[in-house]
Amino acid sequence: MSDAMEVEEGQQAPQQEEKKGKGKATGKRFEIKKWNAVAMWSWAICTDTCAICRNNLYEPSIEYQANPTGDADHPGLSIAWGTCGHVFHLDCIQRWLKTRSACPLCNREWEFSKIERIVGGNANE
Amino acid sequence: MSARTRLFKELKESARNKEATGIELVPDESNIFQWRALIKGPTDTPFEGGTFELAISVPEQYPLVAPAVKYRTKIFHPNVHWKTGEICLDILKNAWSPAWTLHSVCQAILALMSDPAADSPLNCDAGNLLRAGDIRGYNSMARMLTAEHAMSEGMSQG
Repeated sequence: MSDAMEVEEGQQAPQQEEKKGKGKATGKRFEIKKWNAVAMWSWAICTDTCAICRNNLYEPSIEYQANPTGDADHPGLSIAWGTCGHVFHLDCIQRWLKTRSACPLCNREWEFSKIERIVGGNANE
Repeated sequence: MSARTRLFKELKESARNKEATGIELVPDESNIFQWRALIKGPTDTPFEGGTFELAISVPEQYPLVAPAVKYRTKIFHPNVHWKTGEICLDILKNAWSPAWTLHSVCQAILALMSDPAADSPLNCDAGNLLRAGDIRGYNSMARMLTAEHAMSEGMSQG
């Protein structure tokens, strides 16, 4: 019994030394001194582009960019969802609806489901 | 004002996918509202091997109003007027949507070349051949006129 114990110890000892040795050789590579959590958000939409003006939906419409008024309520600084789920800049879809009251992408009868202001646009707010 | 900006965006995009689609879109050097498109006759159609030129005129209210598109190259097709090159295509008229681009319009015209609609003919001769079921007659007529107008270097315009 005691012999067996000795044997075991004898076998383990060199292994432990080896591990220690490796640890020493490589040393401490990184030390985290500080970390910052970052949160991202995005609209739950299937495309980032307004199909009417082809600008990104996170930036103002082409029309607003051409004539920036600085008015935060400008429809070029908002995006509008239809009940069909498609999204356009508010001023883009408003101008199209004067021609035909159908979604430009799916041709279904257009009904607004919600309108949101673009956050971080060029509005002076 | 915004039409111009959107057209410049389309110019950049069309330069990028010119290779993949075989559609070459070029604006007039001095006028971004006048474009020229070169499209290749689709394979397995009597227009195969031909190159067709389209003249595109973009209105100020684009993309709320459709561009005016017509063939500059003569084409024997039921939905294209033989003399004027006028095209009968719903998306260029009442089915227009601002989600279309000049490039996707050219794709729609290519699709029309592959699938002629004989029931609303602008070219009655072509329409009648198809409606009579004379596919062979239609194909050989269209192929001959493609060779005559859309292939040779020295093709005459008009």
